[in-house]
Amino acid sequence: MKRLGFLNLRGISGQIAALVVASIIAIHLILTATFLIHRPDQPDPSIDRGHALLVASVQLLGVAPAAERPRLFADIARAFPQLDIESLPPGPAVAANEADGPHLRGLRRRLGSGYRIVSLPQQDDTHNVGIALPDGAMISAKLLPDRWQPPFWGGPWMMTLLFAVISVTLLGLWAARALTAPLSSFAKAAESFSLNGAAAPLPERGPEEIRSVAKALNRMRERITALIDDRTRMLAAISHDLRTPITRMRLRSEFIEDDVYRSRMLRDLDQMRSMLESVLSFLRNDRKLESMTLVDIATTLQLVTDQFADMGHKVAYDGPEHALATVRPDDLHRSITNLVENAVRFGAEAAIRLRMSSDTVTIDIEDDGPGISDARKDVMLEPFVRGDDARNMDEAAGFGLGLSIAHAIVLAHGGELSLNDRQSHGLMVRIQLPVHQQSRQATA
Amino acid sequence: MASPHILVVEDDRETRALIAKYLRTNACNVTTATDGREMVRAMTDHRVDLLILDVMLPGEDGLSLCRKVRAESQMPIIMLTARGEDVDRIVGLEMGADDYLAKPFNPRELLARINAVLRRQAAAQTLSSANGATALAFLGWRIDFRLRELRNPAGARVAMTSAEFDLLQTFCERPGRVLSRDSLLDLTQGRNTGSFERSIDVLVSRIRRKIETDPLEPTMIKTVRSGGYMFTPRVDAVTIPTNGGS
Repeated sequence: MKRLGFLNLRGISGQIAALVVASIIAIHLILTATFLIHRPDQPDPSIDRGHALLVASVQLLGVAPAAERPRLFADIARAFPQLDIESLPPGPAVAANEADGPHLRGLRRRLGSGYRIVSLPQQDDTHNVGIALPDGAMISAKLLPDRWQPPFWGGPWMMTLLFAVISVTLLGLWAARALTAPLSSFAKAAESFSLNGAAAPLPERGPEEIRSVAKALNRMRERITALIDDRTRMLAAISHDLRTPITRMRLRSEFIEDDVYRSRMLRDLDQMRSMLESVLSFLRNDRKLESMTLVDIATTLQLVTDQFADMGHKVAYDGPEHALATVRPDDLHRSITNLVENAVRFGAEAAIRLRMSSDTVTIDIEDDGPGISDARKDVMLEPFVRGDDARNMDEAAGFGLGLSIAHAIVLAHGGELSLNDRQSHGLMVRIQLPVHQQSRQATA
Repeated sequence: MASPHILVVEDDRETRALIAKYLRTNACNVTTATDGREMVRAMTDHRVDLLILDVMLPGEDGLSLCRKVRAESQMPIIMLTARGEDVDRIVGLEMGADDYLAKPFNPRELLARINAVLRRQAAAQTLSSANGATALAFLGWRIDFRLRELRNPAGARVAMTSAEFDLLQTFCERPGRVLSRDSLLDLTQGRNTGSFERSIDVLVSRIRRKIETDPLEPTMIKTVRSGGYMFTPRVDAVTIPTNGGS
């Protein structure tokens, strides 16, 4: 079986071989059929039918006694006027040229050896033929007019051949494509494979080799997803379990007598807590736990502004007092908080601006800090990337998740987040969200 | 108020001991339990004023314990959870918890919430506790204490800090009464410690900005000459809390 592996029709080599063989057989069958239908070596069958009538009449005349012939002539002329049979005066008979045409050859073969075909002076366009009966009497008859014979290369022959070649070629192309289509879908699937496992598994069909590749790729995909899930779970578990010791430390710190040490301790614990929260928030942010609801997002922005102002930062809100949009309120609050946190860390002042149009909410968060170079803008949206690689690792530094969490939240809303240069200097983070405002309900 | 008796149900030994120690230094009587069985025993042995319940417990979890306790009594319950996720918060509050705190929490925040819950419980004549409403409505606005959210007449959620929410809740529960700054501070006291502590005036102006048509000419929360505020709209109890979309 191994040696005849190429005969295995489930394999790609077997299928390609079968395709080639099937094409050859198909062309051959079509050609043979065409050949049999339009045999070019045989007389036209319509002429042949005319011959049969003529041959029958001539043979009838040949076996009839000479006295009967005039009456037979009259009968035949009445019954088959198209044959135009008539008696010829006996004269010098010139044997017909053997090369006179296929139709004469056929006629001669059918008449038998007793009859001779003689050539007649060509009178007009009617195709008359002279025949000497066995007893020497001569008759002339008209061969039924030859059908118009189309030239070989324009005839049905050629059409059939063309049809066969084109259709078999198309069939072959289609079949070859069907064989190789899975390969290009592999490339596409590999490109679109994303870590959130949203892509569908590869279809496991086609030739055996392709099926096994698809199976292997699907298994690899499952393993990668499982690996990522494991690591996500591990990270979540670590972050989660760290809350218990932090809770204890938080409680214990209340018993520290020294105010300075206690406040420093509390600050560190707060930083740890916010780092843990950002990790947990980052890990869950594609799960869309929070439901969408109609929110007065102007109050959300005012709230963030107030919260940062309370902590002593210069943050201003510029926008309408009220603006309704359908969002996930806590997620939106978190993303704005993250962005303002960055803004006040790198700049002295921050501003939140809100603009509403009929279909878009635009929220700009601006700071007057150093900004981000164009080369780093894309990288900054990646998780665990910090803008301050070399500089201040101060108490406010986190894991570098703030911007990517904000980005993920905005994407989950079907919106966009972009980093732009502010007019003079600094950074402007622009969030654009679609407003799918629900029909306003009037409960008043 | 005499020192309240607080039952702490928490499975982590050290955390439990630390919470107990912290609350005792702040004038509370504390009994501790590690799981549901001990909780039931402690509740039969002592007259408990407030229950602090960890969500993650061995055996029966905190949520189902909370539902059981709530089915039998109106005892105030504060849930503690290691999961800071909103789903937990909402589920916890729907199970009948009065408040919710995510670990790691600020112990002062815990103390403040204990006081706030006990005070609310004590103010028996307030509108919500009188008829068991979980939400109140005024001028088309709806304030939901369980979900701790405020929705405007269009059904849109209005973002508030918990200090703002507590103050508005206090106003809503006492419509038409002049409330001095001192009494407001007393009713909402301590909910917001540390850097978030703001004077009542700042909180009132922030609430006005969110709910008044013209914050400079307030019609809902009026300033009273002699030094206080009054919430003027008519307030109705909403027994079935609804969300904005319906």
